[in-house]
Amino acid sequence: MSDLDYQASANVPIETPGMDMDRFRSMLFDTVGIGLAVIESAQFRILMHNAQFEAWFPDAAAGGEIIHALIQGFDVDAARLAIERGQSYRFEAQVKPRRRPVSLAVEVSPALGDCQGALLVQCQNISKIKELEYMIESYSKLIERQNRDLKKEKERVEKTLLNIMPQRVYDEWKEFGVSIPQRYDEASVLMLDFVGFTEMSVSRDPTKLISELNDIFTAFDRIVDQFGCERLKTMGDAYVAVSGLPEPNPDHASNIAKVALRMVRYLKRRNQTSQETWNCRIGMNTGPVIGSIVGLQKYVYDIFGPGVNLAARMEPLCGPMEILFCEDMYPYLQHEFHMTDLGEHEIRGFGTKRVFRLEESSTTARESHRLG
Amino acid sequence: MTTIFEKYGGFSTISRIVMDFYGRVLDSEIAAPYFDEIDMARLMDHQTKFIAQVMGGPAAYSDEALQRVHAGRGIDRTAFDEVADLLSQTLSDHGVQREDVAYVRAHIDEKARFIIDDANRGAAG
Repeated sequence: MSDLDYQASANVPIETPGMDMDRFRSMLFDTVGIGLAVIESAQFRILMHNAQFEAWFPDAAAGGEIIHALIQGFDVDAARLAIERGQSYRFEAQVKPRRRPVSLAVEVSPALGDCQGALLVQCQNISKIKELEYMIESYSKLIERQNRDLKKEKERVEKTLLNIMPQRVYDEWKEFGVSIPQRYDEASVLMLDFVGFTEMSVSRDPTKLISELNDIFTAFDRIVDQFGCERLKTMGDAYVAVSGLPEPNPDHASNIAKVALRMVRYLKRRNQTSQETWNCRIGMNTGPVIGSIVGLQKYVYDIFGPGVNLAARMEPLCGPMEILFCEDMYPYLQHEFHMTDLGEHEIRGFGTKRVFRLEESSTTARESHRLG
Repeated sequence: MTTIFEKYGGFSTISRIVMDFYGRVLDSEIAAPYFDEIDMARLMDHQTKFIAQVMGGPAAYSDEALQRVHAGRGIDRTAFDEVADLLSQTLSDHGVQREDVAYVRAHIDEKARFIIDDANRGAAG
């Protein structure tokens, strides 16, 4: 506390030449940065005010103005109620002396001690606080919008990534930055491609080719999805689907066989009305596979293992629209599906294997129809 | 790529620049009249977005949006230059390096045609 403060608060006359307490008070009244006015409590008419008050409310200069005519937002009833209870009435107001908007915190209080019937009005400039408040509000809205955009983008990226790898692999990869290859003992694989693809006339028109392939593969995706299988990838005219991974499924072999039958049915139906004839061949197999992300920058989720290779070896043995599998898969399908035994074949890398052709049965046809 | 916004400490620095710039604009005899009818909340919102945008912060307004919000306000080249000068000066005063100020200025100048009113553009060149 400075000497001046001490003397002022102790009400000791100041011994500065030409400065007495009254003069000091009057000077303080007019130089303080707070707008001050004294109003009478009956009509709220202004009795006196300081320079700062007049700077914010120039109309006060005339004298004798009613305070709520000067200050916008002054609620007379609320003010009377507060004063009757011996409390202060507070509200915020905005003024615009010259060009600059000023935010004021106004307080009307019965704080004048022995001056009964008079109220003190104090106006404090809270512009800086309000400006900051508005700025933070504006900025947080920008950030919120940015966050929303980022979230949307993240979802989009996630969706794309989930197209190339299973959810569980993605979760692991997201959390640890790597994904450990996983062995699936019970899985079935389907590999499809088209007979004479490179010779097909549509192959000479890339736009049409893409459009046709897109149409067919989209239909395949729906079929794969219907039977709880997964499309693993497409490469050129090849389409690979799996069942039993990443989530185990006891019906993996049966499901993939149903997918195969539905794909053939779809193509046959499509060929009836389409200019171009698409003949597929499908190799299937059941066996252990290993699933893993391959690559660091360009991720591909792929499957490996003899089970996969055997399915691939089946494919070249197929005639148009044929679905082949070998003895390894036979036990899984024998009770549920119709099939033709094609006898033993020499399979490169696997020796001699008995090969079967999956046939469309009336049961599966009905089921396809129902599901389709 | 680090934006100017990030380089100078993000929002904690930018907030001081916004507050200062806001004051300077309203003290300017040339610029202030354009904001006469706008209340404090909207004006602060405008300035915050403006600074965030030119500094490479989290605001991105398309040229169409810029044109839309400034349309019909009769902004001429003098007023445009005044605000651009005020901003350059504010940035310099807050320690933004000369080349970064120049970068911001160039960005603003590029947008002049979307901000200056059609009727004034001919004279402004």
